[in-house]
Amino acid sequence: MRRFLRYDIKVTLYITARAALQPAMCGKAMEIFMAKVEPGMEAMVDVYIFETTALLEQLDEILLRTEKANEFTEEDINEIFRIMHTVKGSSAMMGFENLQVLAHKGEDMFFIIRENPEKMTDVGFVYDLVFQMSDLFKAEIDMIQNDDNYEPTDFSDMLAKLEKGAKMLKGELDGIIAEESAAAAAAEAPAAVPAADPDCTTVRVFFEDGCKMENIRAFMLINNVKESVDDVEIVGYVPDDIESNQDSANTIIDNGFLLSFRAPDPKTVFSAIENSLNVQSYEVIEANAEQKAAETAPAEEAAPVKQQTAEAGEPAAPSAPAPAAAKPAEKPKSEQKAAPAASSGGGKQSLISVNLQKLDQLHDIVGEIITTESMVISNPELEGLRLESFTKSARELRKLTADLQDTVMSIRMVPLTGPFQKMNRIVRDMKVKLNKDVELVIEGDTTEVDKSIVDNLNDPLMHLVRNCMDHGIEDTAEERTAHGKPAKGTIKLSAMSSSGEVIITISDDGRGIDTEKVIAKAERNGLLVKPASEYSEREIQNMILLPGFSTNDVVTEYSGRGVGMDVVKSNLSKMGGTLTVESKKGVGTSFIIKIPLTLAIVDGMEIMVGDAEFTVPISVIKESFIVKRDQILNDTKRGEMIMIRGVCYPMLRLNEKFGLYSEVSDIEDGIVLLIESENRGICLFADKLIGEQQVVVKPFPKYLSQYDIKGQGLSGCTIMGDGSISLIIDVNNLIGTH
Amino acid sequence: MDIKELFAKQEEIKRKNLNAKNEKESEITKVMTFYIGDQVYGIEIPSVIEIIGVPHITVVPGIPYYIKGIINVRSKVVPVIDMRSRFGKEEKEYTDRTNTIIIEEAGVSVGVIVDEVIGVIPVFQKNIANSPDRIGVNDNKFIKYLLEMPDGIKLVLDVAKLIYDGDMYLTDE
Repeated sequence: MRRFLRYDIKVTLYITARAALQPAMCGKAMEIFMAKVEPGMEAMVDVYIFETTALLEQLDEILLRTEKANEFTEEDINEIFRIMHTVKGSSAMMGFENLQVLAHKGEDMFFIIRENPEKMTDVGFVYDLVFQMSDLFKAEIDMIQNDDNYEPTDFSDMLAKLEKGAKMLKGELDGIIAEESAAAAAAEAPAAVPAADPDCTTVRVFFEDGCKMENIRAFMLINNVKESVDDVEIVGYVPDDIESNQDSANTIIDNGFLLSFRAPDPKTVFSAIENSLNVQSYEVIEANAEQKAAETAPAEEAAPVKQQTAEAGEPAAPSAPAPAAAKPAEKPKSEQKAAPAASSGGGKQSLISVNLQKLDQLHDIVGEIITTESMVISNPELEGLRLESFTKSARELRKLTADLQDTVMSIRMVPLTGPFQKMNRIVRDMKVKLNKDVELVIEGDTTEVDKSIVDNLNDPLMHLVRNCMDHGIEDTAEERTAHGKPAKGTIKLSAMSSSGEVIITISDDGRGIDTEKVIAKAERNGLLVKPASEYSEREIQNMILLPGFSTNDVVTEYSGRGVGMDVVKSNLSKMGGTLTVESKKGVGTSFIIKIPLTLAIVDGMEIMVGDAEFTVPISVIKESFIVKRDQILNDTKRGEMIMIRGVCYPMLRLNEKFGLYSEVSDIEDGIVLLIESENRGICLFADKLIGEQQVVVKPFPKYLSQYDIKGQGLSGCTIMGDGSISLIIDVNNLIGTH
Repeated sequence: MDIKELFAKQEEIKRKNLNAKNEKESEITKVMTFYIGDQVYGIEIPSVIEIIGVPHITVVPGIPYYIKGIINVRSKVVPVIDMRSRFGKEEKEYTDRTNTIIIEEAGVSVGVIVDEVIGVIPVFQKNIANSPDRIGVNDNKFIKYLLEMPDGIKLVLDVAKLIYDGDMYLTDE
């Protein structure tokens, strides 16, 4: 009733309350978006980021698949077209202009490919180009999402590359010839000048890579030519806006600087160009060659060239050749692309995306229903009544609620396909960079785990796969064949679930771990705690997971920074997972990750201390027993200890630790739990054991996060069947603080 | 573009309505009033989620004395603050009349234990007293404004300050 009342008032007071609370209600998130997004669009940013990320992943997937299969179907192209188009549209709507332009250029390129699908597979650079573009997109989206002071990135480099790529595809020629014709088409007027005037010579000058300010250099070049050659007449140059337009530098980098001049002896001019600063190379463009190039260019582009030729007597050249050339090609495209977009936009997905928060809410409500249900069914007022049909219906209800709970739990479970597929991309990129031929085999990627685990798996997986690529697989194919292995290396990524755990294995068939090298390194780094000869092979192999260990002396781009495996291990243990290594020298290495299916459920032992209930994870309990008073040893500081099978453990009385009143003070009346974690043990003294129970872990309320409750040895809480709250003991912290 | 314009227009209309309302001295909000000791305090209704008795409180170590612990409110774990103790008054045993008001601000829920809930009163602009300088600072930092009602003065609490206390720091975790 109260709740309804509240909403009712909320509606009538909506405007007032909103205005009054506005400054306080503006969360951090809101303020961030305010800066970069139009007001009123904040709520859509999340959706935009989610959708665009999903689309880009889809794009990557299609590209990887087609590259591997070496064929490109019409369906694939239409799908890519749809993706690029959607990204373009939504970016434009959100006001991210740079992303919109980038998507547009990508679309341009695929427009050409759609006409000639075979080019996709025949022309090698296309994949690299598109992957680069997709990476830029992802990086930018990431920035929008995470960077408080987001500034749009300038993509002009990539845009130029895409433009060039599109032109290369458009010309029937590939490689350098295509590049030349593209540049020549862009050159337009001055390029055509020689045709009208046989005395005129045109040169294309390239400046040194990375010399910066190409436009200024070009300007200096002109002056230099004018000064050193007496009777030279500069007819024109492209780009012609070098003095005023900074961007012309990029055009010069891509297409070179075109200079047309009239001189009695061109050779004097050539030597002047040679002597100018930062000039890398130059070439003389023959009048005939230019005409040929003009013919290969599409008709729309040739037309303005001709027009310019007519008035070529004037040195004025078109101001922006590149965009002018791109525009005529644009129109027919937008008409054509509407058709496939509409046909493929029908939506073959049977999935919907739901906010995780709503799922948590649903989960909470189901828990509530189950509690309420047992309150109704075992209500004390029903006692002693004959309730045949009620009992029957109650049983029915219980079955349905159990089904409901299972279903809700399963909603949160997602397959590992996402993080596994991402590894394809990493292997592909590293394959090229490291020049190793490696195949990634994926098995069991449909295994389902909790969503929060999947989200946290990406980094550890990536690190392990990189490690296998970099250190595991032999450097050369010869090395492999010499050991009787196939020249192509294999990295296997597999997952399976077994009794509440997911086991993920990343294995390579590389050189394996060199135990001698490892132990020597460990000794040098001071990681050994006993004589080197006493370590088993397994122990040595697992040393690579220790903090401060990195066998690779050379830092590479991918791994070997000395922060590596231990970070992976600690990331996994945060999720309650473990990492182990198995390796055989010369045969290969396997990393085995074991993580619980869900973070939310813990097998716990319920204990009572005073009137407070605690949950101790079963996995850390070694044993529970009652002790005699004479088994207790007292140290000098009134601390209690107990000797169990020759090992001395400190005793921690939970009531003292947590400041609770308990009637049980005699050690013989209560119960002692021996718990062990990370090779350290401690005994806990509690009043009594209640029993084993699976509990749903809930974090402490956000409000309490300002206090160090975790440091007190508590990791969270859980709501018991009777509605009371039980605190979950964090064993590592408890041992650490004692 | 059209959406943005529309949005701007809507905002404009909202603002106008608000101003008009203020001018007419219509009801601007409702306040739930309660006793802490002899003084009547209030919390604006939009912040109030629900009112319950004092349920079983689970004690949590390592938190200030005035936070009594955590409670289970319909499967949600909520911390509870004893207002007497928060305002430096002597603590009193909880009775049948003692209530826990669950309030929420920017997604953070907190229960506040008060001596007794009185009811809900409408608030008009004319009721809001011109706040002396002392309001909102130091000991009075939790007070948003004073209400001058025929039956006495009521102190309306600033829920945001109560939750995001000045000397507290909330991390995202």
